[in-house]
Amino acid sequence: MIDLVGTVELNEITAAESGRRYGHLRLRVDHLPEVQPGQFAMLKACGAIEPLLRRAMAYYKVAATTDATRIEFIYQIIGRGTEALARLTPRDKVECLGPLGVAFDLGVAANREVVLVAGGAGSPALYLLAAALVEREIPTRLFLGGASRGDLCGLSDFRDLLGSNRVVTATMDGSEGWPGFVTAPLEDHLATTSGTPLIYACGPDPMLHRVARIAAERKVPAQLSLEAPMACGFGICVGCAVPVRADCQEGFVYQKVCTDGPVFWSHDLAW
Amino acid sequence: MSNQTIEEKSPTDLLAIEIAGIRFPNPIWTASGTCGYGLDMAELIDLDRLGAICTKGLSARPLRGNPPWRIVETHGGMLNAIGLQNIGARAFINEKLPLLRRYQARVIPNVFGYTIDEYIEAIRILEDGEGIAGYELNISCPNVKAGGESFANDPRQAAEVTAAVRRVSTRPVIVKLSPNVTSIAASALAVEAAGADALSLINTAIGMAVDVNTRRPRLANVTGGLSGPAIKPIAVRCVFQAARAVRIPIIGIGGIATIIDALEFIIAGASAVQVGTANFYDPTASMKIIDGLADYCRQHGLRSIGELVGTIRLDQ
Ligand SMILES: Cc1cc2nc3c(=O)[nH]c(=O)nc-3n(C[C@H](O)[C@H](O)[C@H](O)COP(=O)(O)OP(=O)(O)OC[C@H]3O[C@@H](n4cnc5c(N)ncnc54)[C@H](O)[C@@H]3O)c2cc1C
Ligand SMILES: Cc1cc2nc3c(=O)[nH]c(=O)nc-3n(C[C@H](O)[C@H](O)[C@H](O)COP(=O)(O)O)c2cc1C
Ligand code: FES
Repeated sequence: MIDLVGTVELNEITAAESGRRYGHLRLRVDHLPEVQPGQFAMLKACGAIEPLLRRAMAYYKVAATTDATRIEFIYQIIGRGTEALARLTPRDKVECLGPLGVAFDLGVAANREVVLVAGGAGSPALYLLAAALVEREIPTRLFLGGASRGDLCGLSDFRDLLGSNRVVTATMDGSEGWPGFVTAPLEDHLATTSGTPLIYACGPDPMLHRVARIAAERKVPAQLSLEAPMACGFGICVGCAVPVRADCQEGFVYQKVCTDGPVFWSHDLAW
Repeated sequence: MSNQTIEEKSPTDLLAIEIAGIRFPNPIWTASGTCGYGLDMAELIDLDRLGAICTKGLSARPLRGNPPWRIVETHGGMLNAIGLQNIGARAFINEKLPLLRRYQARVIPNVFGYTIDEYIEAIRILEDGEGIAGYELNISCPNVKAGGESFANDPRQAAEVTAAVRRVSTRPVIVKLSPNVTSIAASALAVEAAGADALSLINTAIGMAVDVNTRRPRLANVTGGLSGPAIKPIAVRCVFQAARAVRIPIIGIGGIATIIDALEFIIAGASAVQVGTANFYDPTASMKIIDGLADYCRQHGLRSIGELVGTIRLDQ
């Protein structure tokens, strides 16, 4: 973890058919410790006092050269913090604390088929993971859902990486792929595939709950990357609590999404 | 003494202070609940340069804390209802303290309980720990309903818990006051009379935020403690009023994020200050303030930061 000042190189705002807006931010930093797939950064414009707190964003892409590292984020514009990110222009300075959090466990993926499930702004958190899986030659399939075609964040990058036939899409308005929730094609796939695949998922809470239930029903192990409101992102505020099963009277304890996660095994969560 | 001599003084000479017989390398501390158990900050700041670390509130037994959502950002600040989740005093001295006391920063466990006996129990456990400079009593946490009002709400109860802890503690006791009272001077006087060695103030101001779509409170606990720059003027006022009421040293807390903030508190009467919420969004804020304080002393011809304490001018 290191607190860096990054320089904005690109900040492209797009609007989806659903009306939602997204930003694609690229920062240049001098030096960055190695980022593991699933880790995140805490971001805000340098010195900004509105909003006060930084916002958590998963690293989408990281490219290091000898002189600098370029890091990319894709963010959905939903409130004060992300509106402020959307106002950044090239050469602006950004405070960028990271890399933070526990990454996806890749060790367990060997000799298995991997299924990635993403919804909306959850897909950026899976790109580095997908790249690492491809590098290890682990067969990987992505189920990517969103409200409309424009909400399928990173779709073309994922298609380039995995091959179009390994990216299954679903949209609520039917503008791309399966109509409806992404969990429908996921269930369809799990019903027909042989062996025990491994699921990695990131997306809105209702989607993750559904994925957790499907995984439990089919006895498929799943790692979920969670979101929580975060004040610090590095373990000191204890604001980002999530109930995790524990051997105690109440059956659970609160763990911190920022430092104990954001990636958790689905069967450990006591939501 | 000439300006030149001041120029030559090291930051330690300029910034060292003494509170309740304990020497601190400087008056910049980190506030309870905003720096974990201190160690979590070690990757980002130099704990050897900090005056002291006030730990997350510790109780005799571990506490699970409140359900989420526990925090919400408001304008210029945030509300929290963490529910005092902590590992317990015993785990603190076994697991955290041995690592923490390797640093120069003084260690000040923040202590709370739901009854006077629970305070005493926690202090008794902590008395076993080595390398503790003193205790900070949280008598004012607005988040936990202990079958009634908090100790801080009633000067008599505040005095009672202070006296009880004073009797069992071999170390200095700093009592942390709440702004959620009618008269901060009355609270300050009551705990001073009960034997407090110093006061720290303020704890968070009780607040609330509502989600207009769901019409639900935005915190699961309904209300929470407001912190950050938004509460600074209230905190400066409280320090000013308390400093005029008592003779014991005062440690100022509330929205401190910059050197100017820290100076305001010191001039209003604080011998030291604590950086809280700023640690979340600017983890190196305390270091920048320490650097700035030494510069300020040199520029203003102060031989020691102590010369500035309570020098507010009220003449026309
Ligand atoms: C580990 C992690 C990785 C993330 N990665 C991405 C990403 O790659 N792309 C992306 O678009 N979003 C991501 N998010 C979600 C993103 O942090 C929130 O959308 C953002 O904080 C909202 O801020 P806001 O001020 O625009 O919204 P507001 O609603 O105005 O925010 C108010 C407060 O609530 C918090 N908050 C609100 N919604 C969320 C939420 N869903 N999750 C967490 N905190 C929330 C904010 O931090 C803020 O303190 C991630 C979250 C986490 C925890
Ligand atoms: C998330 C959070 C947790 C806190 N936990 C404690 C605590 O355990 N004990 C305590 O005495 N004060 C606690 N406080 C209060 C702070 O120590 C401080 O008094 C208050 O936040 C005002 O300072 P600030 O505006 O600089 O944050 C907490 C504050 C925050 C924001
Ligand atoms: S966000 Fe502060 S502890 Fe997790």
